[in-house]
Amino acid sequence: MAGCSCSRRDFLARGLYGIGVGAGLPFILQRTSAALTAQALIGTSAETHPNRILVVIELSGGNDGLNTVVPFGDAAYYRARPKLGIPEREVRKVADGFGFHPAMVGFERLYKDGQLAVVHGCGYDHPSLSHFSSMGYWHTGIPNGGEPLGWLGRLADETYPAGARNVIVNLGTSQSLAVRGRQHSPLVFDDPDRFRREGTDDEKHVLAGMNRARSTANQTLEFLASTAQNATESADFVRQASATYRTPVDYGTGGGIGGNLQRVAALIAADMPTRLYYVTYQGNSFDTHVQQADLHSRLLMYTADAVRGFMDDVKRLGRGDDVAVVMFTEFGRRVEENGSLGTDHGTATPMFIVGHRVKGGLYGKHPSLTDLDDGNMKMTTDFRRVYATMIDEWLGVADTAAILKGRFEPLGTFA
Amino acid sequence: MVKTWGPRVIVAGALACHVLTVPSAILSAGQTSGAGPGAWAGDLSPIPPSEWSYDRAAHLLERAGFGATPEEIARFAAMTPAGAADALVDYDAIDDRGHPPFEESGIWDAGMDPFPPSRAEAVRIAREHGEGLGEKFLPEGTPRRLQPIVDKFFYSLIANNIETQRLGLWWANRMLTSKRPLEEKLTLFWHGHFATGENKVRDYRMMLRQNQMFRRNASGSFRDLLIGILKDPAMLVYLDNGENVKQHPNENFGRELLELFTMGVGNYSEHDVREAARAFTGWTNDVLAFKFDADQHDFTQKTFLARTGPLDGEDIIDTILAQPVTGEFVAAKVYRYFVREEVAATVRADLGRTFRTSGYRMKPLLKRIFLSKDFYSPQSYATQIKSPVHLVVSTYRKLGLHEMPTIPDFGRMTAGLGQALFDPPNVAGWAGGRTWITPSTFLQRGNLFRDVLFPDVKSFRAPDRSMSPTDERVGQRLAKGMNITEATREGDAESNMMIDRDEDYNTRYGGYAGNVLAFKRTKLIPRNTAALDLTTMVISARAGTADQVVDHFVHRFLRVPLAETDRAALVSFLRAKLGSSTIQPGAKLEDALRELLYLVLSTPEYQLG
Repeated sequence: MAGCSCSRRDFLARGLYGIGVGAGLPFILQRTSAALTAQALIGTSAETHPNRILVVIELSGGNDGLNTVVPFGDAAYYRARPKLGIPEREVRKVADGFGFHPAMVGFERLYKDGQLAVVHGCGYDHPSLSHFSSMGYWHTGIPNGGEPLGWLGRLADETYPAGARNVIVNLGTSQSLAVRGRQHSPLVFDDPDRFRREGTDDEKHVLAGMNRARSTANQTLEFLASTAQNATESADFVRQASATYRTPVDYGTGGGIGGNLQRVAALIAADMPTRLYYVTYQGNSFDTHVQQADLHSRLLMYTADAVRGFMDDVKRLGRGDDVAVVMFTEFGRRVEENGSLGTDHGTATPMFIVGHRVKGGLYGKHPSLTDLDDGNMKMTTDFRRVYATMIDEWLGVADTAAILKGRFEPLGTFA
Repeated sequence: MVKTWGPRVIVAGALACHVLTVPSAILSAGQTSGAGPGAWAGDLSPIPPSEWSYDRAAHLLERAGFGATPEEIARFAAMTPAGAADALVDYDAIDDRGHPPFEESGIWDAGMDPFPPSRAEAVRIAREHGEGLGEKFLPEGTPRRLQPIVDKFFYSLIANNIETQRLGLWWANRMLTSKRPLEEKLTLFWHGHFATGENKVRDYRMMLRQNQMFRRNASGSFRDLLIGILKDPAMLVYLDNGENVKQHPNENFGRELLELFTMGVGNYSEHDVREAARAFTGWTNDVLAFKFDADQHDFTQKTFLARTGPLDGEDIIDTILAQPVTGEFVAAKVYRYFVREEVAATVRADLGRTFRTSGYRMKPLLKRIFLSKDFYSPQSYATQIKSPVHLVVSTYRKLGLHEMPTIPDFGRMTAGLGQALFDPPNVAGWAGGRTWITPSTFLQRGNLFRDVLFPDVKSFRAPDRSMSPTDERVGQRLAKGMNITEATREGDAESNMMIDRDEDYNTRYGGYAGNVLAFKRTKLIPRNTAALDLTTMVISARAGTADQVVDHFVHRFLRVPLAETDRAALVSFLRAKLGSSTIQPGAKLEDALRELLYLVLSTPEYQLG
């Protein structure tokens, strides 16, 4: 590449395929990288920060917030958790009376570097203890409602032009309700290697020709055709980006979450025009009713290591200032541990915001562990204030109230 | 502003023949005009018989059913529009007793009712009573004394899931073969409207009964359906109405009733939600039957939508039905399902009135829709994205199949595309429309049909007999002679210790044992590939050249024509495969036809119904 006058993006797009890019690649791939790269350069008018990326991580199953951000200064915590309580000496203390679970070395470091905000006691009024219902409320951002679209889907619809491609990428086995929009169809895949068109080369050749965007009076057909072209091009792009990505950064040993965040980094490195990434845990991983200590410890370690690794990696890619992560779960667990060395479904729970531009620290008020509602904490911060923070402060999108269908005050987390 | 169609879409007869170069032997009479004029949009007056055509009959059959073969379409094209709509809507007149009832495996035994909400709860109850789920503790001194209860718990989850897979296949077979296609199409509509999922209900018997209730009332009165669903055990469980008691009313049920089932947001207050919830206190179920628990019912005064009295559930329903907005809300939802996503305000008001003043009878509403010019306008015609279930079933119907292929697995196919029967994403049902399509599901829509056309029998794994990788590993290790503790170890050293720590039972072994028992006690889904014979299909259509074959496939499968360049690409593809422009029966021909069909089914055009 010495002496090449091409831009950084060109360099990255080519770098993706290694040396001798033109020769070995089928035509479609060359066209693909060029088209996708060009799109990344197009800013949008509805936002102030067109380079910024939001990564949402879902801790599915109901993470035990009390054993994640441990209120070691509160005796009520140890009374309610005689067996599961994390002893004060093991807590990774970060602030007065609060500290991280001992397995969360990664979060301790991010916090001490001033890049991690913890928002205490997030929830909503009339909380549901059903995974299904509560997750639906967090996905749509409309608690106790039947909203059919996700908050990120609505964010994309309101903010990015209908023609912009791959605004949302959802890494998971199925499409999350959170990313469902009217105009934007998210790129959903689990194993990038299976995101492909099946068939013989002859068949694929004909289909690549037929699956092209076109102009017709039938708007549904137009939408389908443009999705078809996008699919044909993106599938190869995503697969290549993922297969060829190499990084010296250690994402920890968790596999799932680390692997997915590394795929996000690979796409960012390849200048994918995506603005919103959504990463989920498989199944209800955090649903720790029984014998939770070791399992929960592992999950937290994987998560903290993976997020820390991801932030290091995007920094290495020169995009550290452009990426923020927000992490949520559908509910916390009950204050009191249960009889099976586990915890049952609860309510309020912390959320986490990570990024180089984050003003690190503790936000909001930790809910009382004694003034409870049927054994559960009373939420102190409506989770939609965190959404509003990401939409308004981070992405710089003005019309937050239209997206969230109500006014929610941002937290002032970003510098 | 009304958009007009490009020349490739609106086709006058002569032009169609010219553009598509379709031989007259293939084009049957009437394949002339697809959509009507743009001015028809929003016009609910009936389409005159002179405007009836093959394409419009095909459109009606696609929407009011699951599509049809050219022969069936021709039969409807020969009727008047009113005759065709009556034939579909007044389906009670059609003898359709040929369907076998769902053949239950018999997975439930008495001890399993009522089923506990979690494994932890099952264990707790068992500890209290010394037995649980119909299973006793193992004798004292035996290791893992509670193991049979935990095994049974997992058995029930897995066996109910398998029965639900079988139920989905049974229903799909009805969709495929029913002489009353609208009955099944409506049953699917109500399943999405009153969405209920087996993953929470965990009892296929309730799902079966709900499905039968939908079918029984599908084209009848909406009031009957509403009462039916509010007393339906599956729905009562799904919306936790067992927890709706007079001391602690649970608003879930009342809220969904107003917001999703009848009126839509913005037409009632939070106060109305709470009052409705109180009126439904004590509406619960005793396993498979509705139960009114008078002790838990709030008999006191309530004020709901300006009506005051000691209102009960049925009073609430009648108050809701008296609101004009209810007629509009439900009629608009019916319209979106059968016609298109955008509902004009005038259409909404008009259909709402039709519906409410008819006493919420479905038939007058459906006939009005199916006969309207709007239904055949360019804005409606071939503009709907087929739901995954519709996509798969209608493809098989158009292929003339009489039985659902089970390799590949029907449930897995549609679930991968975002629609699993008996498992809607949430109580709001499937969002439908463009939400069906992502770049990944678009590719899968084609890929799945490749699996149908070129089935991989050798590596096929039957989902009704497949364990999770973890459970499978446990089985393999046990088979090697390991003990339970060794066999259930997974991953790193820490986690090794965890699973067997509670000496009363081993959870991971329970998962494995539950699978084994469920496989033993559920009927096996027979596995067969699609009985396809495309060679005979094209020969009976008198398609003798590559051009004619492509045109026949377009005619049979697509509701919008292909662009000429795409058609030409298919023709040259087929010619290259055949090494000739003409059709020579043989193994090579069948393979080539299947490849061609795969391409046709993978186009953007094919996703439109």
